[in-house]
Amino acid sequence: MPVPSENQRAAGGTAVSVRGLTKRFGEVLAVDSLTFEVAPGRITGFLGPNGAGKTTTLRMLLGLIRPTAGEGLIGGRPYAALRQPLHTVGAALEATGFHPGRSGRDHLRVIAATHGVPDRRVDELLELVGLAGAARRRAGGYSMGMRQRLGLAAALLGDPQVLLLDEPANGLDPEGIRWLRGFLRHLADGGTTVLVSSHLLSEVEQTADDVVIIARGQLVRQGPIEELHGPPTVLVRSPQPEELARAVRTAGLEGAPAPDQGPGAFTVEGASLATVGDAARAGGVTVHELRALRTDLERLYFRLTQQQDPVLAQPQPDGEAP
Amino acid sequence: MIRLVRAELAKLTTTRLWWGMGLALLLSGVALAALVAFFLTHGSVPGLGEGLEITDTLPALALARMVYTGAAQIGYLLTLVVGVVVIGQELRHRTATTTFLAEPRRGRVVAAKAVALAVAGLAGGSLLVAGALLGGGTVLALGDLPVFPDAGLLLRTLLLQVVALALWALIGLGAGVLIPHQVAALFVAVAAAWIVEPLLAWGLSFLDWGDGLAQYFPSQATLAAMDVYSDIDPRIAAAMGASPEQLPWWGGLLVLAGYAAVMTLAGIWLTRRRDVL
Ligand SMILES: Nc1ncnc2c1ncn2[C@@H]1O[C@H](COP(=O)(O)OP(=O)(O)OP(=O)(O)O)[C@@H](O)[C@H]1O
Ligand SMILES: [Mg+2]
Repeated sequence: MPVPSENQRAAGGTAVSVRGLTKRFGEVLAVDSLTFEVAPGRITGFLGPNGAGKTTTLRMLLGLIRPTAGEGLIGGRPYAALRQPLHTVGAALEATGFHPGRSGRDHLRVIAATHGVPDRRVDELLELVGLAGAARRRAGGYSMGMRQRLGLAAALLGDPQVLLLDEPANGLDPEGIRWLRGFLRHLADGGTTVLVSSHLLSEVEQTADDVVIIARGQLVRQGPIEELHGPPTVLVRSPQPEELARAVRTAGLEGAPAPDQGPGAFTVEGASLATVGDAARAGGVTVHELRALRTDLERLYFRLTQQQDPVLAQPQPDGEAP
Repeated sequence: MIRLVRAELAKLTTTRLWWGMGLALLLSGVALAALVAFFLTHGSVPGLGEGLEITDTLPALALARMVYTGAAQIGYLLTLVVGVVVIGQELRHRTATTTFLAEPRRGRVVAAKAVALAVAGLAGGSLLVAGALLGGGTVLALGDLPVFPDAGLLLRTLLLQVVALALWALIGLGAGVLIPHQVAALFVAVAAAWIVEPLLAWGLSFLDWGDGLAQYFPSQATLAAMDVYSDIDPRIAAAMGASPEQLPWWGGLLVLAGYAAVMTLAGIWLTRRRDVL
């Protein structure tokens, strides 16, 4: 049975690569020469506003939509070339349905039959996603969150090395979202490649290691999520603003008053808390507050995806702030 | 491939469709065969003058064939519908995504559906024939007429009826792919088989070469395969709606199989090309 062995996972896992994928639906250029990589053992957030092309990209990657140009590879091969693909890739896509008259358990059993997966595994998964109680009920009566859970169970059926989830948190209750986060982390730690789409950065911010941000079908940003924050910025507050400005300059640092952070606030770019603290002490300046400023990621994301500026729409793999 | 077929069979048996259809086939077999038997045993031949009983003019074999195939037209309509639904509901309920994720070689998926449908069609056809034997046989027996004359030839008719019903299911499969909207596909398929085709055949009968063409229509080929009108006085056959030219049974079978093959292959070809949205 082609179940992925633990060795196979340990030996690097299965990467996903999207190379120049393009899809045109008539007039609409849904995805426009998109290129990015998804690394094994990490959770990658696939972000973009509504209509950015996330679902279309995933469908092309899964061989469901024929690309106008480019290709999507899973472990170096197109999806259609995978034999027993559910043992390699598990996917839960938006707008995937269930026959309303078939029970959740039977839905999984039908899929399981294509891969010779035993009913025991089906029941395990129903238990795992918290659907054991409703397993024999007709799926037509399932709530949105229950459907989402059933879709997840289907994705996990073949114990895949790669998991592609399209807005999996949609309709899940807070408890379910928390569980999902923990579960995805557990899988990624075990070497699974996880790609999770969302239109909210805040949704994946806590879970994702990497992000791929697209807008209007084009890549806007790709890289580890920390790099989104850009270079560190230090906020320092003092009752002696002039002396502080001089002390910072003397230490060879770039600083500027930041009145929006309150009276006597000063921000220093590209320096650590320690350097700024030392500079203040050397200048004999009293410090009332010293902390690192985080970039407001949600605002940054909004700017990145709303921006019409073509320069911003260029891929910036080095992760520098625009 | 065996796993795929198994999965497709599981799809058929995990909804209420299968027993609803099974019941419909069985009951229409019982009811229509009984009804046809009743009319044939109590009626006179139209156009041949009063007083001439149908049972006097028809050989026992022809009578039995008519009785036991009396539900064929309803039967193939039902299996046609099952064929359309097998593909139509995957699109309608958006399960096609899940299906093609499990087997991205989509041609194989459609082929597996065809095999599962053929199995289901043979089972459904057997139910219909069983019902017809029960309903029609009872009425024939009550009328003191032979229930199973010419066993060999009658058996061939019954077997081919079962096969024909399975082939119609495959025609439905192709129609379901060609028209990717389930309700529209059902409407078109049923209308084509029951309204357009007879009308066309009727229109063609006014042309010299028309009947020669009409015998290749799927419904006519089905009747020919079941040998319904052979061994009957052509005037009586015509009065019963048979077109003057009929293919031999094997010809009817081949033509019908041809339709099924073309529709299935068209379904495979189209399914491979389309985007799954
Ligand atoms: N079948 C289709 N025919 C025509 N246009 C389509 C089709 N599918 C998608 N599109 C268009 O392609 C673009 C991308 O759609 P897609 O569904 O991939 O976006 P998305 O990022 O998944 O959005 P959301 O966050 O709302 O799910 C949209 O402009 C959409 O209107
Ligand atoms: Mg989407």
